Amino acid sequence: MRDKLRKWREDNHRNSEQIVDVAEELINEHASKLGDDIWIIYEQVMIAALDCSRDDLAWTCLQELKKQFPGSQRVKRLGGMRLEALEKYEEAGKQYDSILQEDPTNTAARKRKISILKAQGKNTDAIRELNEYLELFVGDQEAWHELSDLYINEHDYGKAAFCLEELMMTNPHNHLYCEQYAEVKYTQGGLENLELSRKYFAQALKLNNRNMRALFGLYMSASHIAASPKVNAAVKKANVKYAAWAANQINRAYQLAGRGTKENKCSVKAVEEMLESMQITMS
Amino acid sequence: MGEVELSCLAYVKMYLHACLFPRCSVNGLLLSSSPAGGAVCVTDCVPLLHSHLPLAPITQLALTQVDVWCAQTQQRIVGYYQANACVSDCSPTPCALKIADKIAEQCNNAVLLMIDGGKMSPDYRVPPIVMYERKDSRWTLKDKHTIMLRQWEETREIAGQLLDSGDHSLLVDFDSHLDDITRDWTNQKLNAKIAELASPANAEQQLKAM
Repeated sequence: MRDKLRKWREDNHRNSEQIVDVAEELINEHASKLGDDIWIIYEQVMIAALDCSRDDLAWTCLQELKKQFPGSQRVKRLGGMRLEALEKYEEAGKQYDSILQEDPTNTAARKRKISILKAQGKNTDAIRELNEYLELFVGDQEAWHELSDLYINEHDYGKAAFCLEELMMTNPHNHLYCEQYAEVKYTQGGLENLELSRKYFAQALKLNNRNMRALFGLYMSASHIAASPKVNAAVKKANVKYAAWAANQINRAYQLAGRGTKENKCSVKAVEEMLESMQITMS
Repeated sequence: MGEVELSCLAYVKMYLHACLFPRCSVNGLLLSSSPAGGAVCVTDCVPLLHSHLPLAPITQLALTQVDVWCAQTQQRIVGYYQANACVSDCSPTPCALKIADKIAEQCNNAVLLMIDGGKMSPDYRVPPIVMYERKDSRWTLKDKHTIMLRQWEETREIAGQLLDSGDHSLLVDFDSHLDDITRDWTNQKLNAKIAELASPANAEQQLKAM
């Protein structure tokens, strides 16, 4: 059980309901056997409890942690998170401000303040604060990704692409960033962006040939380029080839998936027909 | 404009979709198996995304695939639903309006449904939904009295039951399907479970509509 909790911590899983289920039994019955692990488990459980609106459990964990680590900034931050969960945003903000007064480099507190803005729907403020944060803490991957998400929600695709470029530079083997970047480019539209999107979908596939989004993305971007009146015959021919290859791969993947299960006969057929219909509009 | 009826099946799946991803905005399509003309009967829904709703490629892909599936099963896309991650604001986002516009091109009494996250707790006795219809090329709030949910109490109970039993995790949206294509976004299994829980009279109605 404690191994499971450790794995969830390390993989950063947000399976809060599961954690809460496991935790009560663990804490009540086996506390003595957990040794020093118990403190980090209290922290993990408290955050999960906040996620599940279990303020009773969260409060218990917080008290134990406060007793053991009085004056700790890490515990103070947890206190702030509890206030956030109760939607007492002003108090939470003050809590984080006091942490930052003692230690202006505390990134956790700064990020929590930005989360408050996001929770209140103040997206433009959150974006501004996050930009300021990233000027100081340029290497924070999580922050770059959060910023790209915020920009996508504000439909500012150019800036979202910039954030994803930063992430791709520092994580060249991550197929998900490539694929997201390609999606943003596709959404921006226009021939140049479509070609870029096709290239990055292809790159994502190179890094992970089972990424279905990238495969579909490659198919769609290549098809749209081939159907565009602005491309010359050679480019058209090349893109028709890419699209055909992608369609083939998609069909194969669905045939494999459809084997033996009655359920996805619908989706297999739907994909086949869709690919056929799109081919007709292309030629 | 006209009356809109929302079936138990459609409501329950939409509701469960929103519950399955409480931290994300989710969206989906509303379908009807009734012929065009007269009142709009939403008989089913297809949950689509729970991430990056404004991005185009997957939405386009999903719309095309659902279109094809509808043609195969004699259904039509008659609307769009969305639940925003931020509970305090349930107004339609630009991407919701865009997709709803596209649907309205093919179906002239299409509806746009926003789920009001703030009203989803068990102590609210009314459906936590806000519906919009197209009037003079703008999406305007629909009169509550033209929206019908037959057997609302029962529907609410079924949704609650599935949530308590953890069966809401059976729901597959298009995003999850792309993560694992063996999962079925038409949700036949969940549909069967919902039909089972509905009263015999309702179950017959659902089966006729499917």
